[in-house]
Amino acid sequence: MIKKTRPQKYNLVNKKVPYLFILPWMIGFVVFTLGPLVFSLIMSLFDWPVTSSPTFVGFGNYIKMFTDDPQFYKSISITFKFALVFVPLNLIIALVLALLITQSVKGIKIFRTIFYLPTVVSGVAISIIWGWIFNSEYGILNYLFSFIGIEGPKWLIDPKWAIITIVIASAWGVGTMMLIFYTDIKSIPRDIYEAAAIDGAGPLRQFFYITIPSITPTILFNVITSVIGALQQLTLVLLLTGGGPLKSTYFYGLFVYNNAFKHHKLGYASANAWFMFIVILLLTLLIFKSSSAWVFYENEVKKEGGKK
Amino acid sequence: MKGSTSRFKVILLFVLTAVLVLAGCSSSASKEEKKDKDGKETIRFATWDNEDTLNLQQKMVDDFNAQNDKIKVVLEGYGADYDTKIAAGMGAKDAPDVMYMWNYPLYKDALEPLDSYIENEGEEYKNNFYDALWNYNKTDDKMLGLPVGYTTHVVYYNKALFDEKGLEYPQAGWTWNDLQEAAKKLTDKSKKITGFAFSGQPDPYDFEMYLWSNGASFVDKDGNLDGNVNSAKSIEVFNMFQGMLKDGIAITTEGSGSTEMKSGNVAMFVNGAWSLGSLTEAGIDYGVVELPKFENGQNVSIVSSSGISMSKDSKHKEAAFEFMQYWTGEEANKARIEFELPVLKSLVESEQLTQDPVKSVFYSMLEKSDGYTPTSYIVEDWTTVADDLSLVFEQIFNPSTLMDPKKVLNEVVK
Repeated sequence: MIKKTRPQKYNLVNKKVPYLFILPWMIGFVVFTLGPLVFSLIMSLFDWPVTSSPTFVGFGNYIKMFTDDPQFYKSISITFKFALVFVPLNLIIALVLALLITQSVKGIKIFRTIFYLPTVVSGVAISIIWGWIFNSEYGILNYLFSFIGIEGPKWLIDPKWAIITIVIASAWGVGTMMLIFYTDIKSIPRDIYEAAAIDGAGPLRQFFYITIPSITPTILFNVITSVIGALQQLTLVLLLTGGGPLKSTYFYGLFVYNNAFKHHKLGYASANAWFMFIVILLLTLLIFKSSSAWVFYENEVKKEGGKK
Repeated sequence: MKGSTSRFKVILLFVLTAVLVLAGCSSSASKEEKKDKDGKETIRFATWDNEDTLNLQQKMVDDFNAQNDKIKVVLEGYGADYDTKIAAGMGAKDAPDVMYMWNYPLYKDALEPLDSYIENEGEEYKNNFYDALWNYNKTDDKMLGLPVGYTTHVVYYNKALFDEKGLEYPQAGWTWNDLQEAAKKLTDKSKKITGFAFSGQPDPYDFEMYLWSNGASFVDKDGNLDGNVNSAKSIEVFNMFQGMLKDGIAITTEGSGSTEMKSGNVAMFVNGAWSLGSLTEAGIDYGVVELPKFENGQNVSIVSSSGISMSKDSKHKEAAFEFMQYWTGEEANKARIEFELPVLKSLVESEQLTQDPVKSVFYSMLEKSDGYTPTSYIVEDWTTVADDLSLVFEQIFNPSTLMDPKKVLNEVVK
């Protein structure tokens, strides 16, 4: 047998067996993720009607998008408005729920399941259910309001309320984020809290000075995923409002979807999608950059502590 | 040296595997083009139906396959994603050989013109279908589909609510004034009952029928909106519908209005044959009547028609047409009779559908609706026009805006 003389760093490349094991995933990535990604970039340079053959237009689609499509700007602004309300709200709700399910109450497991349940339900079903709840004439919500003498708003008809409707319905799917917060809060050592309690810190102080700083990495993760999720929101608007009333919920995702599958402008829709991809990429980078100011990792803190 | 060769091997292995996988995909696609093992030609047939009607269609396809030793039809039920899926199929040049179709202008470039096939069958074959339906199954003077089913639009009314107020049931030949009179009497705020309901976001394709009834239309035959959709006759129609909302004798609905009708809180609404089954199921005792007329007009309905078309990329056009004939033949029309109004004159006669108190209404509306061409068949970019119109309709009918029809219609034509 040849002795191990090669430097250690080549080992990863020389071994074939590990690659064989991850081959299915690599193929899956190339065929189902990288392939379509590159293909859509190529498509975005063409005028590509579904039923006839494509023609090359260079950056025509991008130029048209920025200079000749008022709906593009409207959809962007609606989507960002939504994200601005939705992301903080979603984080707060998830955090509050996570705190609630860490309490030791009788039957806490049942509550945990109930809070998580909506996440398991498919977006389509959620849309149908909320459609019933929000129906302004015969919906359950306005029926309940009528008991306390309030005439509920026309949720899905009044443009002012429709976007709020979408925010409420989206917040329904908060379970995954709640679960992530929950596991992180659970892993904070009890003795820190005990020490704080002995020093006379109340529950609120404990929350802001122990819980929040300890879970900042999780908050970072949740902020990023929910920003991405908010900017890509499609299912709900597609099924619940169809972009209406009066295009008040014509989100960017719906704008792209309709350009592709309703107006059959595949090239233009690809250009739209790429623009959003770049926006999301930049936003994510920005959030990452900012994270050094407010996210604390355990080992970082330890190192710094050691220096002192 | 050795290190770099085995690295190369790994990459080669990876590429080879990827190629093999991709080749596997494409070879299975090309196999379909040839005859399969038992020497039959395979026809892919796409439908938008689901549940009950899909089961019926599967049974009909099975029957066809059992009778036929040269052709094998595979039914592909796309359901609600129908448009997305066939559009994707057409884009990838892998569209089903035969597919259900209604929006011919949008897909015309991917469909096989059928004129020569229909001519081969002779005049009698062609004449057995209603003329109005052929018009809906062609664009640019090319036949692109064979009619399978249709529905015209009619007024559904709740008999119990009419009885309660001691009102006579509406009769064919009534006018919009009659409808408004009735709606006024039927509206009962204390019981939350409203006389009439219509969609707050009406589909422009459907709504054009009201304009036709008043001698207007969205566009002229050259596709100009200006002077047509904002003509006095057209504005009159919008004013009338908006007026009913302002008077409180009508409400707008989020869907077609069938949900509200089922709840028993709405006395009348307009829809195609789609609501027949669900209203019966909901236990509503309803009647149907022709659409009302305007004072000096004739009542016209849009025809929501469905047909089947052949993909122009199909490799088995002869076999596909043979199946299409089966699917539109008398036997098949009869099998579908519970779900779909037959389109063959001979069957309508033998089943005495013109005597049927409900179904006859749809046929008399059909005969009155011949000779009108929806705007979607005239303008090139209907989906964009429809989007613009749809927004204007909402501005007119949305209770939080109720904008002046004249003003917004004059704006949209710019």
